[in-house]
Amino acid sequence: MRRRPNPKIYLVTGIILLSVIAVSFIVGLFWTPYGINATDPAAKLTAPSLQHLFGTDNLGRDVFSRCLAASRYTILVSFAGVAFALVLGTAAGLFAGYFGGILDRIIMVLSNSIMCFPGILLALMAVAVFGPSLYNVIWALGLVFAPTYARVYRSGTIELSSRDYILQAKIMKVRPGRIMFIHIFPNLMSQILPAVITGLANMTLSESGMSYLGLGVQPPAASYGKMLADAQSYITAAPWLIIFPTLMLVFYILGLYFISEWVRTTYGGGRA
Amino acid sequence: MRYKGNILEVKGLTLTVSNNGEPGAVILNGLSFAVRTGEIMGLIGNSGSGKTMTALAVSGLLSDFAKIESGQIIFEGEDLTAKTAKERRKLLGEKIGVIFQDPSSALDPLQTVGSNLAEILRVRNLDKEAGRRQVLDMLRIVGFEDPEQIASRYPHRLSGGQRQRVLIAGAALMKPSLLIADEPTSSLDTVTSMSIMQLLHEMCQEMGISILFISHNLNAVRNFCDRVMVMKDGTVIDSDTSWDIMGQPRSAFTADLLAKSRLDPDKLGLTAGKAADDAPCVLSVKDLSAGYSNGALLRKSSRTVIRDITFDIKEGDCLGLIGSSGCGKTTLIKTLLGLIRPSSGSIEKNGRIAAVFQDPATSLNPAHTVRWHLNEALKASGRNAGGDKDSLFIRTLNETGLAEEHLHRFPAQLSGGQRQKVAIAMCLIGEPSAIIADEPFSALDAASQASVIKLLSDINRERKTTMLIVSHNLRVIRAMCSRVIVMNDGVIVESGDTASVLSAPATETTRMLLDARMYGV
Repeated sequence: MRRRPNPKIYLVTGIILLSVIAVSFIVGLFWTPYGINATDPAAKLTAPSLQHLFGTDNLGRDVFSRCLAASRYTILVSFAGVAFALVLGTAAGLFAGYFGGILDRIIMVLSNSIMCFPGILLALMAVAVFGPSLYNVIWALGLVFAPTYARVYRSGTIELSSRDYILQAKIMKVRPGRIMFIHIFPNLMSQILPAVITGLANMTLSESGMSYLGLGVQPPAASYGKMLADAQSYITAAPWLIIFPTLMLVFYILGLYFISEWVRTTYGGGRA
Repeated sequence: MRYKGNILEVKGLTLTVSNNGEPGAVILNGLSFAVRTGEIMGLIGNSGSGKTMTALAVSGLLSDFAKIESGQIIFEGEDLTAKTAKERRKLLGEKIGVIFQDPSSALDPLQTVGSNLAEILRVRNLDKEAGRRQVLDMLRIVGFEDPEQIASRYPHRLSGGQRQRVLIAGAALMKPSLLIADEPTSSLDTVTSMSIMQLLHEMCQEMGISILFISHNLNAVRNFCDRVMVMKDGTVIDSDTSWDIMGQPRSAFTADLLAKSRLDPDKLGLTAGKAADDAPCVLSVKDLSAGYSNGALLRKSSRTVIRDITFDIKEGDCLGLIGSSGCGKTTLIKTLLGLIRPSSGSIEKNGRIAAVFQDPATSLNPAHTVRWHLNEALKASGRNAGGDKDSLFIRTLNETGLAEEHLHRFPAQLSGGQRQKVAIAMCLIGEPSAIIADEPFSALDAASQASVIKLLSDINRERKTTMLIVSHNLRVIRAMCSRVIVMNDGVIVESGDTASVLSAPATETTRMLLDARMYGV
């Protein structure tokens, strides 16, 4: 057996990293040192200082305020997107795994065809067709992420369907919907949890990518991807424009990965 | 270099388990015993007597809820209770090997058998090729004729017996001085468990490994262990060489355990359920054939497993169904229960038919409590419970020998026998006209087996519930069933009165089943 670090280290590191984004989310909801879109022509591209902790951008907007504000979209999109993907994926996976046969084939063909496109490309197509907006980003990314959950639930459902307690439920003539959602679903929670947490991280990455390309959260709202896109012309002159939004993203995503690693090592491969 | 003297000595070990911060229940109570170097020590006792906790305490795999209050565990002259968790882990890999009951959960499903086993050798820093050779050699030793092929397979493609042999290979690869085997054969069929016990015996003799063998199969213990100790309520109440303890048990408890394991129908008060002559027919099967279809989208292939099955069961009757593994018993039952659609023939049912399955580990849904299970069964039956559901549940639990305290427990907090009783209670809630029981005893210890058998027999007699009992255990069939049908290769080869079929078998199949019993099932 390979030596692995104490799982608690993952948990503690994850919580510390996530608390950064959590604090900025909560603080950003109620207070920012400057207006999110308030420009100050006198202070364009100033380096971090006591007045502007993270410096200012080319329009003289305070980067610290914008970093605080942007966290709300990151959190909103990642949670809402994963929730959408989870609802869709869970239902599809349970139905495919439970009924099998032709329904299973149709669902799996659909989910495989979504999976064989690069996810971000598909989401970009959807947003290009329906127009860039926050809600379109959420459902488009949710759709792209759903097959991952569908697969986990499908294989889990197939495995559990042969267990005696599910046979027993079938013999008692419990309705299929109830078997799926009351009998099978709770037993798959531990399998889906790590996938949900890494899903949050991947969703954030995709959202930033789309915002970077201008198809995600729309200006004037602040988002990390958009801030990075705006900053790239000033990458040598004003590196703080890149560094701080990137750090925020890294803290969030890395924190989520650490937590998911903790969940996986602590509960993963658990007893059935 | 083998350690001389007692390889393992447990002195006055007291262990408590806490439940959600409540003060702990005492599981092991001043337990003392010793295992000599190179011997096989058997450990028997009822469920809940602390056998598995002993194994976990010695191997250092106790969960956080368990706490050693006092006592010593001396392994090769060193007190294990004084060691740190890290030191104990190291010991577990190198000196103490463990084989668990359930072979399906002990191998990493995402790695081949070969890499599962190679993982064990990695701690020894062997180079890859030498490690691979050792793995293949060991697989050959545990009886695989084509080790290369087995090593390249994934665990789910092995049968239960094969997996258990892989685990034994894994334990042997570590070359431990002490091997703890916690009911290694209880989930396996008779022939496989015989071969696995022989394998352990050879390992003990050839490699000088001492074995602590936990089992509820008393015949296995008698034939296979040098000494035996009997546990009850966390202490050893009887301990002697295995022949002496089985021949002349010194305590009343041991004698009782032995009597139960023999399933003496008179002592248990069993009577074979018999239908009255004018009783109505509950289940009538005529020319039934069924099988599985492999659903390719365009071309369907089907395989018929059972053919031309015809029999009737009358109300209050108890019918036994016997046959070797793979003869189609399970397919027949699934067809009767409506889980498989028959390809031809007819099944006429009169009333509800409920079922109890073999494996107590999967018979209840681990995510829900006992009360939820009973409520689900009640809802499904459409029966009106009157106002107070809970009193109905408690009454039903009492009838199966469980108490009110079990109502809010999760399956993980129940023993195998208790879980089977909950499964039976679920059947009773629906007031079925017939219960089909598919090997409901085979995974239970002797005392639980006896009580579950007694329970089913009582239900059969008192409630006039018809029973169809599938079992390998001919003693059970003889004690409970008035009629028996014998299956082979998907067809009924013999049927009739239990006594006459079993005493004067007319077919080769029945004779073979009777012979297998001689080897201590």
